[in-house]
Amino acid sequence: MLSRPTTDQIIADCRNELLNTIDAAITDPAVKIAIQMMENVLRNCATRAAHEIAWMREETDDVITFAKRVAASTASTDAVTAALDNYVAKRSDSLHLDDVSSTYSLAGECLSASLEAALAAGDDDLSGAGRALLEQRLAHEMEIMGEWTMVGRG
Amino acid sequence: MHDVGTMPNRLAAFLTERDGQRSATVVSYDAMTGGYSRLMAKAEIDWSDGQHETFVLRGDPPAGNAMMETSRDVEHALLRSLAESDAVAMPAVRHYDATGDHLGTKCIVLDFVHGSSLQALLHTAGDAERARHAIDLVDTMARIHSIDIDAIGSTLAVPTDWDDYIGELIDRFRQADAAHIESVPFLRFVASWLDANRPPPLPLRVVHSDFQPANIMVTPEGRHLMIDWELTHIGDPREDLGYYNVYSSASGPNLFLADPEAFLSRYRERTGFSEEAVNMETMAYFSALAAITVYAQVLAGAGAMARGQNGGLLTTYTMNALTIGHSNFLTGCTATKSAKTEPVRIREAV
Repeated sequence: MLSRPTTDQIIADCRNELLNTIDAAITDPAVKIAIQMMENVLRNCATRAAHEIAWMREETDDVITFAKRVAASTASTDAVTAALDNYVAKRSDSLHLDDVSSTYSLAGECLSASLEAALAAGDDDLSGAGRALLEQRLAHEMEIMGEWTMVGRG
Repeated sequence: MHDVGTMPNRLAAFLTERDGQRSATVVSYDAMTGGYSRLMAKAEIDWSDGQHETFVLRGDPPAGNAMMETSRDVEHALLRSLAESDAVAMPAVRHYDATGDHLGTKCIVLDFVHGSSLQALLHTAGDAERARHAIDLVDTMARIHSIDIDAIGSTLAVPTDWDDYIGELIDRFRQADAAHIESVPFLRFVASWLDANRPPPLPLRVVHSDFQPANIMVTPEGRHLMIDWELTHIGDPREDLGYYNVYSSASGPNLFLADPEAFLSRYRERTGFSEEAVNMETMAYFSALAAITVYAQVLAGAGAMARGQNGGLLTTYTMNALTIGHSNFLTGCTATKSAKTEPVRIREAV
């Protein structure tokens, strides 16, 4: 396959065409708002295309390390153990997007159960470590979102 | 409803039939922008007796294209009840196509408001004007929260008590996670945190649930008319305070942050609620809690799309609002410990 231009470059190029050629030819306000929304969605997609597999894999590794730490602590619950068992049974090393996404979701369940366990146990160290993983996840979401306002409202 | 080729004739026939005495001619029919969840259109009507009126049509998008699912039947019944109780100003409901047989979709026909949305006015207002708008906004919110829930009959379900209600509201975070196509770890973390940090209770009241300046129409005389009641329910009135703070941080200006103490003080004065129940700390708590109603609807739309059951640009576009939600959930869940004196600065969209 041809890998360059990369997918994010191609999407960014489509976005430029949308803004510079198509939008300029449109006067209908409803369609112009739709174009602004599409521009935003295309930017989201470009960032995801460039990074999402790496980000999901990196987050998954960090989350599983944390969940194992919770499982080994006095805060552990049956839900944490079950989530980790399920992760081990169903995880995949495949780098196809659908497989990475499924493994990421299995890890997400481990994080949810671990955070619940840490909060219930009143373990501030574990809660803080789990919260840091949420902040890491949020940082990626914010990078995907980029500049965003509710276009057309008001 | 957005077929401008057929809608004028369909609407004219519908209005003529409902009026029973006069015949209607639709002289203009235009799709309106600005609404995200429902289809909106504006129609100019000439009646056979020489009267002229302007209506707004509010209907459901085609199946599979809604970013959120709500009931027009419930919304219409609520609007009728609110109008009869005369508790809060809003555009008059004129007609309802309850089956969609006439207008192509279940559709509420309302009077058009000549004026601007408060959101539009705020974009161009100076500091002094914004301060005046802040007072009016608080008063509008307080009026909604002062509505006697018995006066609106059985339109909305009334929770048994505050503790059960808040428990169920918190549980929506867990339900949203369980129903979604993939795990969203923010949700159960926030649910656990909110459960462990419940504020003092308040009497259950009417909660608009999408209280934002874009849903307040301001007449040329400065009167506020509240619109878009599709998510309204009986709940904790502080949900609207928190939602307003979250929404206006993403789509400003945020009138609360301009003078938080004055904002809350006027709200307490207008509602009679105590400072123990309405303060910076509870504002932070409800800023984390209140967005769940809209958040869950948007997340459900994204999940339906992932399952191949839904589509449309709004579904993908509003997924960014979920990121704003995650940011606000985390901020709200830490802010309350130090929020008694510090304003609740919810993270803004960049």
